[in-house]
Amino acid sequence: MNLKNLTADKLVLLYANRDLSVSEVISSVFDEIDRSDGKIHAFITLCRDRALEEARRTDSRIAAGEPLHALTGVPVAIKDNMAVRDVTTTCGSKMLENYIPPYTATAVERLRSAGAIIVGKTNMDEFAMGSSTENSGFFVTRNPHNLERVPGGSSGGSAASVAAGMSLVALGSDTGGSIRQPASFCGVVGLKPTYGRVSRYGLVAYASSLDQIGPFTKSVRECAQVLETISGFDHYDSTSADTPVDSYLKCLDQPLNDVRIGIPREYFASINGGVDPDVKANLESAIKRYEGMGCKIEEIGLPHTEHAVATYYLIATAEASSNLARYDGVRYGLREGGAGGLNEMYRRTRMAGFGKEVKRRILLGTYALSAGYYDAFYLKALKVRTLILQDFQKAFEKVNVILTPTTPTAAFKIGEKIADPLSMYLSDIFTITCNLAGLPGISVPCGKDSANLPIGMQLIANHFQEALLLQVAHQFEKAGGFGNVSVGM
Amino acid sequence: MKISETDVEYVAKLANLEVPETEKKELAEQLSRIVEHVEQLNTLDVSTVPPTYQVVTGWKHAVREDRAVARTGSSEAGKSVKLFKVPKVITER
Repeated sequence: MNLKNLTADKLVLLYANRDLSVSEVISSVFDEIDRSDGKIHAFITLCRDRALEEARRTDSRIAAGEPLHALTGVPVAIKDNMAVRDVTTTCGSKMLENYIPPYTATAVERLRSAGAIIVGKTNMDEFAMGSSTENSGFFVTRNPHNLERVPGGSSGGSAASVAAGMSLVALGSDTGGSIRQPASFCGVVGLKPTYGRVSRYGLVAYASSLDQIGPFTKSVRECAQVLETISGFDHYDSTSADTPVDSYLKCLDQPLNDVRIGIPREYFASINGGVDPDVKANLESAIKRYEGMGCKIEEIGLPHTEHAVATYYLIATAEASSNLARYDGVRYGLREGGAGGLNEMYRRTRMAGFGKEVKRRILLGTYALSAGYYDAFYLKALKVRTLILQDFQKAFEKVNVILTPTTPTAAFKIGEKIADPLSMYLSDIFTITCNLAGLPGISVPCGKDSANLPIGMQLIANHFQEALLLQVAHQFEKAGGFGNVSVGM
Repeated sequence: MKISETDVEYVAKLANLEVPETEKKELAEQLSRIVEHVEQLNTLDVSTVPPTYQVVTGWKHAVREDRAVARTGSSEAGKSVKLFKVPKVITER
């Protein structure tokens, strides 16, 4: 059975017609993991026994004539920063290597209520801090399209698992592009919802005003289904929005007449080294395709884009330095022994438990919040955040959707940027603005570069306009815009 | 602005982190480069711009009635006695 060409909606139909059993599918997922994950390293923890047991139970329910749910028997992978009761949740960190949460994240719980089966927890940059999954406290995940390349990050394991057919659907989290950038690098669909659309309850906090959970899938239809399943108000998350969830699936097939698409000139200009020529060429043909579908293309300006990386790395690290103060050897996970007193135990534990990038970001965030620098750095960044948000508000008076490259280049080589943190940060330039402005963004494949690596196109819409975003992305997919992005391993 | 090794030590202390001697120089250099990059924000006049702490979209005041809900804790807790067993944190001098 080849899961690389199967989608969740088709799978559920096959179950409904009794053409396949859930146990067969879940077993073949683990066969694929056994075959491929020794090379790709997408998973930190596998839930083999539990998943096979759930598959058997699901099969008996189907045999008894119980109705199928939207995601019945669909194998899903969960980024390892989301709590799953009784399953180790490491957050990619030595600090939480043995942490077993006593509860399940709301987004995960909603997937399970819709019938999905968790196959495992995926690798990530430690505490979601990184753009390549090289900062994992355990091992590096490789890109299924080319094992010498990074899968992107921080949700690299989730993106790789979907691309390689080791799960049909995965959840990731996106603080500065951590869903959209790995989706782009691995040739899959990845969506970051509006801030507040999906509950963050059970998501290990990195930067609370920016973090959002979202889906990875191969098709936009599956993405719409998963988003519809996980969205909505949750009284366990005080920042979750009490706004009705649209029927995303119903909107997919509406034609695109009169949709106005904005092309921000700054995203194609030479900010931070500019865009790779192959990326630019693919994006230009995507724009032509939309013109052919009757969309109006307009150039727009988002003039504060060049300040986005600086703004993000002050706000995100400041929030992280506060959020990660809880890892002190008392409440969670690791504790280093042999200390002379409480303060020494805190410091020793934090030195042993955190990796280099996490320590660097805690130091930067602490610096930005410290006396004498708060106004100059943190407060200033919050004000520039307002300017970035206002840029988008002005743009959305003219256009419905904004189209950009997801990343300036396709997947870079393992080791290429790891020694130079700033160059790694700058690769997030196109995705970071969505998080600062709380907007929804989706990355979909739009062809490959000369090295045969996938290229991603990002679409951004106004707050809570996920239905429009999915419709515009789906019409592109239907018109053949994705190209052939399946993994030929 | 340059970040010195002394700055690294000071901030590490505030953050309850211990930075090994061998890493101080590299960290000071990396943080200096990042701080020099973020200093580009000084080219903008934001004196009249309000800060955005969070992009508030469609929230209601998140207060609910305080009700006790049954929830088991970690595997050790709640089995024989209704207490959490935690490691000792206070040591004798």
